[in-house]
Amino acid sequence: MMGKRYGVLLCVPLLVGMLSIAPAGTGPLEQVRVTVDEIITILRNGQLESAVKREKISAVVRQKFDFRAMSQSTLSTNWRKASPDEQARFVALFSELLEETYLRRIDAYTDEDVKYVREDIRDTRAVVDTVIRSKTADIPVSYKLVLRSDGWRVYDVVVEEISLISNFRSSYREIVQKEGISGLLARMEEKIQELRSPVSVEGAK
Amino acid sequence: MKHAVSCLLAVLLLYGHWSPVAAEGPPAEPLLSDQAEPPEEFFLDEEEEVRAFDPIEPFNRGVFWFNDKFYFYLLKPVARAYRVVPEPARVSVSNFFSNLYTPQRFVNSLLQFRFRDGAGELFRFVMNSTIGILGLFDPARTVAGISRKDEDFGQTLGRFGAGGGFYMVWPFFGPTNLRDGLGGLVDGFLDPVYYFDIKAWERFGIKALDTVNATSLDKDTYESIKEEALDPYVTIRNAYSQRREGLIRK
Repeated sequence: MMGKRYGVLLCVPLLVGMLSIAPAGTGPLEQVRVTVDEIITILRNGQLESAVKREKISAVVRQKFDFRAMSQSTLSTNWRKASPDEQARFVALFSELLEETYLRRIDAYTDEDVKYVREDIRDTRAVVDTVIRSKTADIPVSYKLVLRSDGWRVYDVVVEEISLISNFRSSYREIVQKEGISGLLARMEEKIQELRSPVSVEGAK
Repeated sequence: MKHAVSCLLAVLLLYGHWSPVAAEGPPAEPLLSDQAEPPEEFFLDEEEEVRAFDPIEPFNRGVFWFNDKFYFYLLKPVARAYRVVPEPARVSVSNFFSNLYTPQRFVNSLLQFRFRDGAGELFRFVMNSTIGILGLFDPARTVAGISRKDEDFGQTLGRFGAGGGFYMVWPFFGPTNLRDGLGGLVDGFLDPVYYFDIKAWERFGIKALDTVNATSLDKDTYESIKEEALDPYVTIRNAYSQRREGLIRK
């Protein structure tokens, strides 16, 4: 009898321990909410210089997005044809491009209200549906996530039915076909330079 | 038609490619020499990948180039000047047009047996036309929480199994495909403006206002695509196709 009671008592610290390891809300939806809120808070912070903002957001994004998975999925069958070196370079360049693209996009919607609608978990994959409530319409944005040892990581963003990754895949495939992987890498490098330079490209070309 | 216009504005929408994916037989043995790598994973959402059939690509690229000039040298400057109108007023203009185009969404919802959506559109129309003062406001969404559900005849055709056909870019109207282009013509008859007893140029003026107003509210989506994409033509073609297939599925 005593043994049983003590057994229960012994369990308490264990349970408490478990609770603190897995705090309520590490589900994919909660994770997306925390990430997006964090990014929006940084963006709205009027006191930070934009370069600092950039860096802070970059840190958040790199932690929550699985750039390697995104890269594989984007290159698709061409991933296998690439040498390990090319693969590594692609992941690095693609991460930068994606970051740049995603930031610009989210930047435009800083003032809008984001609603977190639902999560759909299947084994190690999940989809989180959100809605950006703009002034004229509701814009559906979904995040696709994969479960890693350190939590859920985003591997695709779908805006108004358009998957970012599958969109990249379509144009990259054509470029690889015409110019090879090295051609693609060169063009990505060029694009990153272009996006970084402060001169707006608007109206050019 | 309205939809085609918003597409031209490249509200992020558009399609996939026709690049013949060389049938690759059994995948070449992947020599995963780098053992440090995590095992290769394929995120086979790829299976459902949408691809555009684009046999007239050179022609389309020509029109794309033309629309690009039209956008940067005429539409956008006009829209920018038009931004002197305070934003709330422009949002109301947008709401007004959206409300005006209810017949298209309502009829196409019914044609697809989406009666809930049809009822939603009807509810929205009644509420926004009265409490929302002739559609200038959208209390149906902001208060009652019922959002607009975009439906058009292209989607109706798609719902009953029609494929997109070939991709095409129209001057001024932008990306479409055979199915959605034909659908747009049918939707023209569901557009109340078509029945207004007004002159052709007045009708054109109304459409121009709608387009300029919508462009003024857009957050430079097309500019972003132009800046970021390695090949904006393919990016938009893919976005259009994905968007349309997604709408049909929903």
